[in-house]
Amino acid sequence: MSAVTAVTVERGEKLGYARAINAAMAEEMRRDERVWTLGQDVGRMGGVFGVTRGLYEEFGADRVRDTTLNETFIVGAAVGAALTGTIPVAELQFADFMMIAGDEVFHKMAKWRYMHGGNLSVPMVLRLPTGVLGGVGAEHSQSLEALGMHFPGLKVVLPATPADAKGLLKTAIRDPNPVLYFEHKGMYRVKGPVPDDPDFLIPFGEAALRRAGSDLTVVATGLMVPRALEAAERLAEDGIELEVIDPRTLVPLDMETIVASVERTGRALVVHEAVRTAGPGAEIAARIQESAFFALEAPVWRLGALDTPVPQSPDLEQLVIPSSDQIVAAARELVAI
Amino acid sequence: MATPTKAEQEEELLALYRNLARIRALELLLNRYIEKEGFGGFWHPGLGQEGVQAGAVAALREDDYLFYAHRGLGYALAKGMSPVTLLADLFGKRGGSVGGKGGGTVHFVDPARGVLGQGGTVGSSFVLGAGVGVSSQLLGDDRVTAIFFGDGSSARGTWHEAALTAAVWKLPLVWICENNGWAISVPIAEQSPTENIADRAAAYGVPGVVVDGQDAVAVREATAEAVARARAGEGPTLIEAKTLRIRGHFEGDKQAYREDIIDGLEVPRDPLKILRERGVPAAEADRLEEEARAEAEAALQEVLAMDAGDEATVIEGVWV
Repeated sequence: MSAVTAVTVERGEKLGYARAINAAMAEEMRRDERVWTLGQDVGRMGGVFGVTRGLYEEFGADRVRDTTLNETFIVGAAVGAALTGTIPVAELQFADFMMIAGDEVFHKMAKWRYMHGGNLSVPMVLRLPTGVLGGVGAEHSQSLEALGMHFPGLKVVLPATPADAKGLLKTAIRDPNPVLYFEHKGMYRVKGPVPDDPDFLIPFGEAALRRAGSDLTVVATGLMVPRALEAAERLAEDGIELEVIDPRTLVPLDMETIVASVERTGRALVVHEAVRTAGPGAEIAARIQESAFFALEAPVWRLGALDTPVPQSPDLEQLVIPSSDQIVAAARELVAI
Repeated sequence: MATPTKAEQEEELLALYRNLARIRALELLLNRYIEKEGFGGFWHPGLGQEGVQAGAVAALREDDYLFYAHRGLGYALAKGMSPVTLLADLFGKRGGSVGGKGGGTVHFVDPARGVLGQGGTVGSSFVLGAGVGVSSQLLGDDRVTAIFFGDGSSARGTWHEAALTAAVWKLPLVWICENNGWAISVPIAEQSPTENIADRAAAYGVPGVVVDGQDAVAVREATAEAVARARAGEGPTLIEAKTLRIRGHFEGDKQAYREDIIDGLEVPRDPLKILRERGVPAAEADRLEEEARAEAEAALQEVLAMDAGDEATVIEGVWV
């Protein structure tokens, strides 16, 4: 077995989404000694999903700290460290565990700069493996990004490709504000081209146009981006052209790109893996109608997870979140209105 | 560390008395002001607990970090923040350290002096403070972090999570419990199965020290030992300072739940008297108290004339 090492991106290389996250962390830790990481099993094991593999070997136990099973400590200590001159990238094993550290995430991370009149800042990233994985159950499968949108002071990132996973994480680490970084654990092995430029940064608040089309704007995040693209290819065979936009960051949210698209297509469908009720789509749909009401030829629709917990059965869990079949069906109905 | 000379010891004692007197003067001034004029926010008076606050802070270096607890302004005053700034925060004035966002017992902050705030959710400083300790380890800055908390917040799960890992990582921390015997309305005997909160230190393999919180010198000495241990890389210490709660949980709390209500503003086992007995000459003590009263009164007048926060204040400071 070869030695475990952190990722160094070679020019023109295709990398998995998880390896792209690893590369971003390794590059930023090489660039800036103040950057460090903590979490359960992030050290010798390299993380339960293997995302931090090799960092412990390269950067040592001081900068890659295994904690015990203590989420309030993981996030709270990261905040304290961020207040005092270092830049922690904290990992919770599952995004769901944010609630265990609710005070630390939604009060300390989000509010401590504001509460203290701008005299403190919280330059940190909280990595949150999100979404369904196949059988991990109701308390390990949720998509909770809307919570981040609901607490002013947090930035919210959801990469959908390996390149974005790298570029957005590097931007998050360099951002002087606190960032919730939702990485989809069902996409860790998805491969794609990843730039090797150590200063490859994707700015926050710039949506990506994943596919151009004239009939319907689909705003999709995370795992729903590939599903929306699959739906678009199938509909194109019938002459229906979807425009697929991936906001990439929900805070800040690039409404300008979304609204411009809706003004061209006259129709909008928002798709996410989060529960439909009060999910991110509710906010996006509301803003679309506020800004583009007179361009709309149909109501703005939302596709999200059912209003149920996620069942543990891998087959049943797929019935809870939107499928590409459902996106196809919703799009057909919407363009017919 | 060289043993201080007699002259140095006298100077230290006077400096300690001066801070005790300054904290007491602010406490009494605020009590009178709130009684007469009323007050928009909540004030949690620290009257009677000055010995813990001034004593512990006297053992810290200027660049050491501090998370304060919610009773009084004494911690930050002793750490070098100006009474004008502190009162301005209390009264929601733009001249305060949080620029007009304050009001009541607030979140004053002064990173240059290491004053890092307090959790609005009490007990949350345990985990934050541990992270500050990690920064100090990584940066090699030789700073120690003091975390004040009350007997009430000693019950938080954050204590356990922080203490466990801080002890394993030997973080440079000193935990200072101001045990005033009351968690709002619940007496200590109903909160804790053991007589001393410091007994819990044994579970984490760190020293647990009980000290008389009314004796500022004893608090300073216990803290100095803990600070030296932390700075030497030997890890955290839990100090429990036994003190008294004179006033209610907040000013205006009638304390109907309490049979041992202390009437008026007299402090039994007054930390100022105890320090006088430890050798502060009466004339010096009187002079320092007079100066402290004048300082507090001048600060209040200056603050009352300041502008309050306004609409612009509300949207400032969300992002860097």
